[in-house]
Amino acid sequence: MSMVTIAIPSGRLLEGAMGTLEAAGYLAAGAWRDTRRLILPGVDGTIRCLIAKPVDLLTYVEHGAADLGIAGKDTLLEQACDVYELVDLGFGFCRGVLAFPEDAAGTWERKSPLRIATKYPRVTERYFWNRGHSVDIITMHGAVELAPQVGLADGIMDLVMTGRTLAENHLVEVAELFQATARLVVNRVSLRSRADAVAAVVERLRTEATQRTAAPSA
Amino acid sequence: MRLERWQQIPTGTRDLLPDETARVREIVGGILGRVRRWGYREVTTPTLEYLDVLVRGEGGAAGDRLFKLVDRGGELLALRPEMTTSVARLVATRLRGAPLPLRLAYAGQVFRWREAGSARLREFPQVGCELIGAATLEADAEIVTIAVEALQATGVGQFSISLGHVGFLRGLLAGLDLAEPELEDVRALLYQKDFVGLRRLLETQRAAPSHVRALLALPTLQGPGALEEAGRLADTPEVRAVVEDLAALERMLRASGAWDAVTVDLSIIRDFDYYTGIVFEGHTTALGVPLLGGGRYDRLLERFGVSRPATGFAVRVERVLSAEEGAADGWAPDAVVAFENGSREAALACARALRARDLTVAVEVQGRAWEEVAGEAIARGVGRALLVRGQAVVVRERDGREHTVALADLVRPAGEESTS
Repeated sequence: MSMVTIAIPSGRLLEGAMGTLEAAGYLAAGAWRDTRRLILPGVDGTIRCLIAKPVDLLTYVEHGAADLGIAGKDTLLEQACDVYELVDLGFGFCRGVLAFPEDAAGTWERKSPLRIATKYPRVTERYFWNRGHSVDIITMHGAVELAPQVGLADGIMDLVMTGRTLAENHLVEVAELFQATARLVVNRVSLRSRADAVAAVVERLRTEATQRTAAPSA
Repeated sequence: MRLERWQQIPTGTRDLLPDETARVREIVGGILGRVRRWGYREVTTPTLEYLDVLVRGEGGAAGDRLFKLVDRGGELLALRPEMTTSVARLVATRLRGAPLPLRLAYAGQVFRWREAGSARLREFPQVGCELIGAATLEADAEIVTIAVEALQATGVGQFSISLGHVGFLRGLLAGLDLAEPELEDVRALLYQKDFVGLRRLLETQRAAPSHVRALLALPTLQGPGALEEAGRLADTPEVRAVVEDLAALERMLRASGAWDAVTVDLSIIRDFDYYTGIVFEGHTTALGVPLLGGGRYDRLLERFGVSRPATGFAVRVERVLSAEEGAADGWAPDAVVAFENGSREAALACARALRARDLTVAVEVQGRAWEEVAGEAIARGVGRALLVRGQAVVVRERDGREHTVALADLVRPAGEESTS
């Protein structure tokens, strides 16, 4: 049976992804912490992990450089890649919300076009397009909450976990666009040409995710 | 260093160098040669079509995926994104009265508009064939067998054809007992291959449990046991009919010698508004995207005013190319011909005679000295270097040995040649 490659995102979902693979018995506990290697071998030789930037992750899977990957639903929505989304891994919960400065939170719907800063231009554009609201999207790669304070945008569309960042920057959530968790995705050819090996990993991770969601305290 | 615009080509396009171009021609020629033996004849349609034709064939949403141009009269044109629609237009117009079935093949460049930055090609070569006017399983078996033979002809290693049927998904969807807006959501999630969202939606909709289980098991419904498993998961008339059809196809494909390369795969999700029967994809382990795709599309021709069942497939030639390992072998002509002062015309006659014997021959056009020409030619793998000197020709072999022959012996027509 050939080795299966799993792409793991660095950043927000790294810890949860590694935890899932450790709990499923694919990786030695903490093996990823002390290394700067971008490819990690699994303990039983059936898998290896490659660590990719979250924004590149689906590209690896779509092109088959990785057979499987762990990606946030936010990235899946934004990039609309041709991959199979098979399992909700349950961790990394966050929400995509539209937020405005406190003083504009009541009046934003009257302004047109709105300028919105975001890391999710396609999701944001689709949201406003569906509502028939004209919008100017400003694509950013970080610190989106800064944009309204310096007059770069009227509001933002961004991920929130606790809402603290919004509060600290005097931003108020006005709408929720999506909820996101980490998902297990599979390349469409791997699902067929390496069906048995890939299905084995999918089922083991699905079982692991189900157990975890059933017992959130664990 | 910054590249100027004139040094670049548009995103998603490619230059092919001689080795790659030769390989593309070989792949296309191999496939066309194979389908010709099945009685398929090649047609050529324009690269540009009226936008209306393409939108009619591919549905309104296709408009966003097309390269568009405006004609002199203000008419909208577009570059074809695939060739089946063009063939359908041809069949519904100039070939309207032609006896059925029609067996047509095509090869050409197709174009897809995409957002910049994605790694996908926006222009690429496609070669394919269509069998029009037969609704039978025999026609499907023929097309699948040709698809297998087409991939064999390309020489790509370790390929397989995954064979499914849209009737299976259709039957499952019909059996869900959902209202149209929810069904629309289910279809959208299936297209996106979002099985997490699908599970969630079906759980909240209280759809028929056995069909829900079958839908969610879809990604694994492949391989030798897939048909029995499918029949077990969803025992409805429509699913039973699909299982029977695929079993009959299996018997035919065994007889046609294609079955070894085919896997039943009910998880294939291709556009089920467009496809009406079997669907299939060709894969190789070396590549994460399909090499080939096709199926039965009995409704397309109706959009062009004629009712014709049809089945066919298209090969992504550039993907076959990228699935191959390693660079092509170094290429060199069979011979180079140089000449001494006063022997130029004799050299041209000599080269012409060699070409008439199917040899690839390059004549020295830079006026270089014999030693330089011969040394360079032998070093890059040319079979022989020839020096025309009056009525004699010096031939240097690859091992450096030289011998002299009479020019008259070389230029004599092939049939009269004495044994040498």
